[in-house]
Amino acid sequence: MSAKIKNYSGEVLETKDIKDGKVLTEKFRPKAKFAWSAGIAISRFLDELKNGNIIATTCSKCGRVMVPPRIYCEKCYGPTDGWTYVKDTGAINTYSVSFLAADATRLKEPIIVAIINLDGASEGMGIIHRIGEVENWKEVKFGMKVKAVWKPSQQRTGAITDIKYFKPLKEEKP
Amino acid sequence: MSLEKITNPLSARHWMGDMEADYVYTLGVAGERFFKEIKENGRIMGAKCPLCNIVFVPPRMYCEKCFEKLEEWVDVGRKGVIHTFTIATIDVDGSKLKKPVIFALIKFEGAHGGLIHKIGKTDKARIGMKVEAILRPPKERKASINDIEYFKPLE
Repeated sequence: MSAKIKNYSGEVLETKDIKDGKVLTEKFRPKAKFAWSAGIAISRFLDELKNGNIIATTCSKCGRVMVPPRIYCEKCYGPTDGWTYVKDTGAINTYSVSFLAADATRLKEPIIVAIINLDGASEGMGIIHRIGEVENWKEVKFGMKVKAVWKPSQQRTGAITDIKYFKPLKEEKP
Repeated sequence: MSLEKITNPLSARHWMGDMEADYVYTLGVAGERFFKEIKENGRIMGAKCPLCNIVFVPPRMYCEKCFEKLEEWVDVGRKGVIHTFTIATIDVDGSKLKKPVIFALIKFEGAHGGLIHKIGKTDKARIGMKVEAILRPPKERKASINDIEYFKPLE
């Protein structure tokens, strides 16, 4: 505010004034409906999740195994030409610990979200998912080995949540 | 493979959603007084600029030509003239209307601007046609533009 101007003219309104009907208002909700199509590759990926499998597409030109699958190889500018299953184990590429829920409320137990490079896929190829069965979030490390924890088959719907979370994979001691 | 084509997006896996793009619009100081005048006194008002001698309909707080604060309000009457019009055959969602609706910009004598409203009691409109605002009974008025039910041709 400028030094000379102490008060601007105009009406100050608080959210409360609007809620209490102190001023006249027009309320409106547009019918903004949408349908988001998963496309050919992701549709099959989700169908395979229902069967407990993680499927990837392959490109014979560059030899990459891509997950989540796509129908177009962004490196060779051509259609991908094969499907292959990858493992439900992998390594944490990067992760984030959130003490805020989706509605911005505080959480006591944080949500840990990670990008998981899946075994069998090309380097840097992975999916984003939650990390579970971790006592303290500080145990989570880059490169940590993890394994998918699936919902029972009858509860799966063909969604990414058919995998409940990824849990740390205890390495077998020799 | 991979070149399988789909033409209907719903044949692939899909998510249906509804964007909650709600809004609340406040009418503002001048807008609020304008609608309250219609509701309580049945008057369509304009705001007059003492310097430019222009009457703005709908009224505003400041003159848009010289920025003078507008404090003098005048009754512009219920009679106006169709400045331009359009005939709608579909509603806001694109569904076909049972009966077409005529929407017009109605100007009032000696006033700058005008009101957009429905033309009733006729299926014909004409530029320059004289019309009159038909107000709802006082008990049904809600301080909204719909307190005017429609404009009726005077010819």
